[in-house]
Formats: sequence, structure tokens, C-alpha cells
Amino acid sequence: MIPVAYNIRSLAVRKATTIATATGIALVVAVLASSQMLSNGIRNTLGKAGQPGRAIVLRKGADTEMSSNLENRMLNLILAAPGVKRDSSGQPRGVGELLVVLALEKPGTSGQMSNVALRGVSDNVFQFRDQVKIVAGRPAKPGSHEVVIGQRLRGQFKGLDIGQKFELKKNLNVETVGVFAGNGSSSESEVWGDVDLVRSAFGRDAMLSSVIVELESPAKFDAFKVAMERDKQLGLQAFPEIQYYEQQSEGTAKLVTWLTGVVVFFFSVGAIIGATITMYAAVAHRKREIGTLRALGFSRTTILFSFLLEAVLLALLGGVTGALASLGMGFVKFSMMNMTSWSEISFSFDPTPGILASAVLLGGMMGVLGGVFPAFRASRVSAVEAMRD
Amino acid sequence: MNLATIAIKNTRRNLFRTVLTIFGVAVAMLAFLLLRTVLSAWLVGVEYSAKDRLATRHKITFIMTLPKRYVEDVRQVPGVTAVTWFNWFGGKLPGKEDQFFGTMAVDIKSFLDVYDEIYVPPEQKANVLADRRGAIVGASLARQFGWKVGDHITLDGTIFPGQWEFNVDGIYTATKKSIDQSSLYFHWDYLNESLPEIQREQVGWIASKVPDAGQAATVAKRIDTLFEPRDIQTLSMSERAMNTSFLGMISTLLDAMQIVSFVILLIMMLILGNTIAMGVRERTHEYGVLRAIGFMPKHLSAFVVAEATVLGLLGGALGVAIGIPLINQGVGRFMEESFTGLFPYFRVLERDVFIVMGLSVGLAVIAAIIPAYNASKLHVVDALRKFG
Repeated sequence: MIPVAYNIRSLAVRKATTIATATGIALVVAVLASSQMLSNGIRNTLGKAGQPGRAIVLRKGADTEMSSNLENRMLNLILAAPGVKRDSSGQPRGVGELLVVLALEKPGTSGQMSNVALRGVSDNVFQFRDQVKIVAGRPAKPGSHEVVIGQRLRGQFKGLDIGQKFELKKNLNVETVGVFAGNGSSSESEVWGDVDLVRSAFGRDAMLSSVIVELESPAKFDAFKVAMERDKQLGLQAFPEIQYYEQQSEGTAKLVTWLTGVVVFFFSVGAIIGATITMYAAVAHRKREIGTLRALGFSRTTILFSFLLEAVLLALLGGVTGALASLGMGFVKFSMMNMTSWSEISFSFDPTPGILASAVLLGGMMGVLGGVFPAFRASRVSAVEAMRD
Repeated sequence: MNLATIAIKNTRRNLFRTVLTIFGVAVAMLAFLLLRTVLSAWLVGVEYSAKDRLATRHKITFIMTLPKRYVEDVRQVPGVTAVTWFNWFGGKLPGKEDQFFGTMAVDIKSFLDVYDEIYVPPEQKANVLADRRGAIVGASLARQFGWKVGDHITLDGTIFPGQWEFNVDGIYTATKKSIDQSSLYFHWDYLNESLPEIQREQVGWIASKVPDAGQAATVAKRIDTLFEPRDIQTLSMSERAMNTSFLGMISTLLDAMQIVSFVILLIMMLILGNTIAMGVRERTHEYGVLRAIGFMPKHLSAFVVAEATVLGLLGGALGVAIGIPLINQGVGRFMEESFTGLFPYFRVLERDVFIVMGLSVGLAVIAAIIPAYNASKLHVVDALRKFG
């Protein structure tokens, strides 16, 4: 076995070439890791809004809360269904909510409008959605013209900061009094106001978008679903909350995955070619060295592996650099349109050890693919001819 | 022997490496062209959207409707020459719920007048106007689901519950790139008459035509002022302004793609620069000889830059040659059909081809600067001493 130090020194000698090739691979790995972190962030944000053991009820045929309309009288009917958990005082655990979309102006622009999701919530929302906590200001007073906002919206729109006001309807101004955090979920990109306030402003008297209930256990879902959907006249449809939110993230995540998949494929091909060129040059340069190694008695296989190892080392150098660089994306907030609600939502780049490891692995793979042909050539160098050159 | 001949001859000296480099540049340029096309496909909707057409919607939110009588009010506004109205229907094909396409209830007669870039053959137009359940579908949508004129289809309503039956009476094509050919339009009357009393006589948005783009802002203002004292206020803007604000919502995605397309250019420069630098290093001895027989440093630099230019040019040309058929015949079709509405026109633009060719040559020259400088700085004696 040829010592690894030989390969490392060889890489160090040709600094410029090594850096150029490793940088190419690092860029590819960084792009791949960042895009996977974003896809993961999208799934986390939209997926975290759902909790196990909860069910969401929509109008039959509606695929999102946005297009769902339920009459308010359904609320009590749904809460009375079998499997719905009750608290210590015997009250069913569930809320009826109304989700609408509101156009607000972006600060620092000349009247550019963007859409924000506004959720009409009941008084007990903070008891029910217990992962949501007020982090600044105070909760809205029940029945008042006050709203609280998710922390990712703060300062992103005119009117969305503590003490500021915005227009919900002609002559109906509401004030932002608090900011809440919701464990990174999509709630953090929503405005919450009293359900009756939202109803009156949007002309949706006695209507709801969805009813969300907590079940006694996740296993009770099937019975609950049957109870909801048995009476066709009611026109209801129940989903496990987690599954509902996973569906919501499907479209956006699909677009990101598809676009980056294509990009990463082309990038990888480019970087592999770069590695191949570098390794071929390395082999050509060191023909005499290889000849000497052969003359010393190292076998063709040993030389093959030595050069392959060198290519992989080169690629891993790039891979690790790229993966580390991609961690910097953790500081970036990425806000874009949620394809299902047409409102703006903010995502973060969420790294996981798996994503980083697979990105480094991809870097290593590029080394193997780029190094295999040059390594073959190296192994075929004849000792006698090489020494004669 | 002129400079070009030398450059071409030089690229043949390590033919294998040259081929790899050209291929590397080609792949990078292909990826860049694809990204540019995605960006252009998004922007094309804005560039070609009408400046002489206004959209009027609910001031606070697009999810709320306007009373139908507003259509007549808009028609009376000075400067408005034609009016039509829409309701977003949100239909899905049973069993294919994940395939999104636009479904709109419109007054087909006035719709075709206001949107005169939508073309329906006269006979099909007559049929759809006479058929209460008639619908017209875009050519691309018809291809996607295999619909033909005369087919009966049933859609599930996501906003308006129930199953809705339609007859495909016509297939439309667009004479402008901003109109997507993957939507379904049917009679607003059919929708309106089928709804419960309380939901009737409502329209999602109103589109109106003004004589020329210069009047758009004034007329939009006039419309909004008219409704200001009413219960429901409106927000009117030209189609172009509306699409621009839509792009604002996905601007971070566009920015991200811009950044990624710069990264691919950087990778291309690294590959090309590396190849050129290796060539220079290998030819150190030869450059010494050239200097010794009277060539000046600027000549050596010129050799290096010329060689890089040839590589960039060939790589860019190969990338474009593969990219155009690949995108136009393969990826473009796929994107138009699987992200319907988002990319009405996903084809390579002439402008992007010029950008790619310009960049591949320009960046090749930049990548050659350092190796060219190194070649010109060689000391004749040192260079001559160096072999291999």
C-alpha cells in the first residue's frame, strides 16, 4: 500500500489546480445541501403545523382550508362526535376557525401588495394550540379589534408590528398587539384575530373554514372519520392533521425539489469533468514517479487505488468545504408564496446530519467517478517506458 | 499562420483534455440556459401581458367577490371600451386531483372580445355560445388529458361542491405568449344558475379594456374612485402591474435561481481556467523557446487567450446545440404540462442564446487572464531550463 501521505503531498504541491477543482466540487455540494435544507425547511414549516392525534374537518371536496366553507352549526355536531377528547371539565377539545387572505402593503416599496393569511380564531385558541406562545406584547382581548401576528411576519408588512394598525375593511382598523412563536410552523406566517371580527369583515357570517379536534388517541381517527362522513347530507370530510399539512407542502416542495434536482445533476456532471481533467493531468505529470513505484514493486492494483484515493481525497476536501459553507444558509430566511393559500410564507434552511452527510458523500462520489479513468491509466503505466521518458 | 490557426492547433495537442473541457463548458452552459429559460418563462408572462387591459378586484382580498352589478358600473366608466367578468371555479378532474389547471367561469362572448389574443375556430365558437354546458379548453390542457372537441367531462368543484358536467365545444390557442393554454373556461351563467340564491350574482374579478396603455392608470383610478363610497371598494390595475406584483411574491425564488446560475458560471470558469493553466504549465519550455526566437510576452498572452476563446466558443455552441432541442422538445413540454399556469411558455428565447454564447466566450477570456499573465511573465532562461 502506498502511504496516503504521498497523495496528500501530491495534492499540496499542485495547490492552484487542487483548489480550483475542490472549489468546483464545493460549489456543487453547497448548492445540493442548501436546496435539500430548503426542502426540509418547507416540510418542517408546513408539516409542523400538524400534530399527531388531531384531525381536521373540511367541507367535502375542498382540498384546503381556503376553499372550505362550513356552517357554524357544524361545530357542535363535530365536537360531539365519538373519539373527541374532553378536558377535565368535560369540555370537548376542538376549535372552529376561519382562514382568509388579506392584501397588505410591503414596507419600503411603492405600494407593492402581497397576500397574508388571516385566521379567525376562538377565545380558547392558545389552550388548544399549545405549541403557540406569545413572545412579545400581549394576547388580543376577546371580541376586540385587536390581532396577534406570527413572528415571521413581524415588520414584513405595513401594520404588522406591535402598536401598528391596518385596515380590515372600510372604516374598520385593527391593531397589532402581540407576536407569537409557533415552533417554526406555518402559523408563524399568519395573523390571528377574533373569529367574529374576521367573519364580519369578510362577510362570512356564521361560517367556518375548518374544525380541528384533538382525539382521545390517534387510533380513534377511523371511528371519528366514519362518524363525520356517514351522513352525506352534512358534506364533511376528515383528515389526520399531519397528513393534511403534508399534502399542503407537496406542491411547493415538488417545485423546489424538481428545479434543484435538474440543476444539481448538471452541476455534478460539470464538476466530475473538472475532477477528471485534474486527475488525468496529475497522472500525466507523474508518469516517471509511477514508473518508479512500479519498479519498486508496487502492483498495478495498488497504484490504481492510490490514484482513486487521491481523487476521493480531493473531492472530499471540496465536499466538506461545500457542506460547511451551506450551513451559512441557516441564517437566511426564504419567503415565498405558499402555492395552496396564495399567501406569503417564510421558510428557513433546516440542516440535518443526514443532509450534510449525503452532500459530502455526493462529493466523494464525484471523486470516484472523476478519478476512475485516470487511475486506470496510471495503473497501466509500464515501468520501463516511464523511466525512459 | 495566424492567431486563430495557432489557437486551434494548440487545442489539438491534448485532444482528450480539450474534448473533456469543451464538454464541461457545454454542460455548464446547458444548465445556465435551462435556468435562464425558467426565469424567462416566468418573466414572459409579465413582458407580454397587456397594458391596455385592467383587472378590478375586491380591495382587501382576492377571495371575496364583487356584486355582479359592478360590471355595468365599470362599463359606464369613461375610457372603458369593453368589459368581461370571471369567477375562479377551482375544478379538479376526479382521480387526477394532483394535476392543477385553471378553471374559470366567464361570460364567453365578452371574454373573447376582451381577450382578443385567444383564438377559437369560428364554428367551435358558435357551438360553445349555443351550449349552456359548453366549455373551451386550452390546446396544451387538451393534449395533457387527451380531450377532443365533442367530449363530455365531469369535474369536482372544490369551491362550489358537487359534480359539474361540461361539453368540450372548442379548443383555444393563443396568439400571445402570456396567455396560458392550459385553462378551462365555461359559461358564467351555468355556474350562477346552479348556485344557491345567496351565492348568486357575484363575480370574482372584472376585466376591462381601455383604448391604449397610456390611459390605463387614469381609468383604473376612475373605477376605484367610483366604488370608494360603496360598501365594497375595489382595486384596479393593469394586467401588467398585476403580474408584476405576482412576481414580487415569488421574487426570492427568482433571486435564488439567479444566484445559482452565477454559481454554474463560476464552475465553468474553474474548469476552463484549470485546463488552460495546465496547458501553460506543460508548455513552459516551449514558451521559453518562442521568447528566445523573438516572440514578445504579449504574443504568448495572445496564444493563451485565443486558445481559451476557442474552447469557450466550442463549449458554448455545443451547450446551445444540445440545449435547444432538449428544452424545447423535452423539458419545456413537461414543465408546461406539469406546472400548468406557472409556465405558459417554456421555450428557449433567442435572447438567452445570445447571452449564453457571449458569456461562454467572455468568461473563457477572463478565466485565461491569470494563465496568460503567468505565461507573459516567464523568464526566458528559467523557462528553457524547465522540461515537462
